[in-house]
Amino acid sequence: MKVFIIITVFLLHFFQAQAQVAVIANKSVPVDEIDKSALIDYYVRDIWVWNNNEPVTVFDLKTKSDIKDKFYNFLGKSPSRMKSIWMKQMLSGEGKPPEALASENEMLEKVSSTTGSIGFISSSNATSDVKILIEINSD
Amino acid sequence: MRKCLIIWIHLILILTITISQGQSREKPLSIFGYFQNSFFHETGYTHWIESQSAYNSFNLQQLNLFLQKDISSGWRAFVDFQFLNTFSSARRWGSFNIEEAWIRYRLNEKFTLKLGLQIPIFNHLNEIKNRTPLLPYVVRPLVYETSFSEFIAVDEYTPTSAFVQAYGFILLKNIKLDYAAYVGNSPNISWQDPNRQFESQQTGIDTTDTILLGGRVGIRIGEFKAGLSSTIDYVNFFEGARDFIDAPPSRFSEIPRIRFGGDLSYHIWKLSLWAELIKLTYDDDIPNVSINKFFYYATMAYRIGDDALVYINYMKTEEDITELTVSGEGDPTSFQLIQLLTGRQNVHVPSCGFSYTLFDRLAFKAQFAPVKLKGNVETLDLEFDINFNYYALAISVFF
Repeated sequence: MKVFIIITVFLLHFFQAQAQVAVIANKSVPVDEIDKSALIDYYVRDIWVWNNNEPVTVFDLKTKSDIKDKFYNFLGKSPSRMKSIWMKQMLSGEGKPPEALASENEMLEKVSSTTGSIGFISSSNATSDVKILIEINSD
Repeated sequence: MRKCLIIWIHLILILTITISQGQSREKPLSIFGYFQNSFFHETGYTHWIESQSAYNSFNLQQLNLFLQKDISSGWRAFVDFQFLNTFSSARRWGSFNIEEAWIRYRLNEKFTLKLGLQIPIFNHLNEIKNRTPLLPYVVRPLVYETSFSEFIAVDEYTPTSAFVQAYGFILLKNIKLDYAAYVGNSPNISWQDPNRQFESQQTGIDTTDTILLGGRVGIRIGEFKAGLSSTIDYVNFFEGARDFIDAPPSRFSEIPRIRFGGDLSYHIWKLSLWAELIKLTYDDDIPNVSINKFFYYATMAYRIGDDALVYINYMKTEEDITELTVSGEGDPTSFQLIQLLTGRQNVHVPSCGFSYTLFDRLAFKAQFAPVKLKGNVETLDLEFDINFNYYALAISVFF
């Protein structure tokens, strides 16, 4: 019994550590996959339209979380660095920060209902209402 | 008749609905801004040039109010009002400026056109020098710090405004090649002087037929950014010396002023590095006159957690100085030259500081800067060396 409990705890921990982040997009988005550099360009707002000239809307998560940390680690930029980039754009009249959402459920709802939008959630929460452009491994 | 009336009513209803739908497609007007309140203490100094007692002061260092509206697809209007140094028209201190009022058309990342009063792109800090929420400093790098204007000719080092600017970047795999090119006024702007009794001229306009031309080219690779900037315009500052220096009068007018700038920034892990240099040259051909200048700074910062930043930085200006001392009364053409002083002044400021951000919109800042002014007056064979310390605290709020 003890062995069973130990194995179960180990497996739970193992699968949690392997949790992936899914970069999701509205079904109207004209691409089915995305590379890291393009994702960075959309999130730092260097590029703000898709290749069909439709605007890109990006979403962020409001509160600190494992998924948020993993997403920004993948981009190679800390959340504070991103805030600094967005604030510079806002104060220069060049753009504004993305809408920060309260939860992954809200992220899913917003991305599925906003044309041209992208966001990120844990892979296990992704549904068929959105496209998955890339899955980020935790390692 | 009744049928016509019904048709008219329908037409009016359809028109009203169409107009209101059109208006609902417009984005609302955004109003936002920031301010920075500071407290500083400056230690005194005593020198043969002048003495200054220690003093300290609270100050509303800066308040900027922005209006922004997207007026159509790709078109944005932006206005920036700036209040400095606890502005009060009743008490006659501080200043109020319309810092920016422009409209921007963005075609794509390769091309954006900005028309109207704007702060042009020059080096790294010029565009954002007054955006206090973006900067960890209380005392900004010297040529961007208006409170040091009594020591340093801050308005000369960088272009303060332009009126037409095109900018963007070209993407080559993972490399971004930035460019900006702009046009503006020369610095010879007509201003309101109650003593200038014989001139009645529109103020705020360029009094010459020359213009400012400038631009920047740069490269970005990941978190590495570097660039070169340059401007040229033509100044009439020297015309006042025409009657006192033995040189053809034509040499004193519309002298080319050339700025060269370089900037570098890099972010890695929790470290950030920013550095700039600016060389300012007046291409005059006037004997014994030089007011060329040089400036550089470097800042290294380390982020502690998400909200705190510590930094050290070093800044230096090197300026050639030329001053004319004249005497006389009444008609300026009768004034006599007493002496022409030439020399050099260097300002060194190593500093360190700290900033802490509370919930994104509120930042606390602290900075210590020992200031050293060193120089000489060549024509009098005199040297000066003035030292004082500057302690500053600030709170920066973004709303």
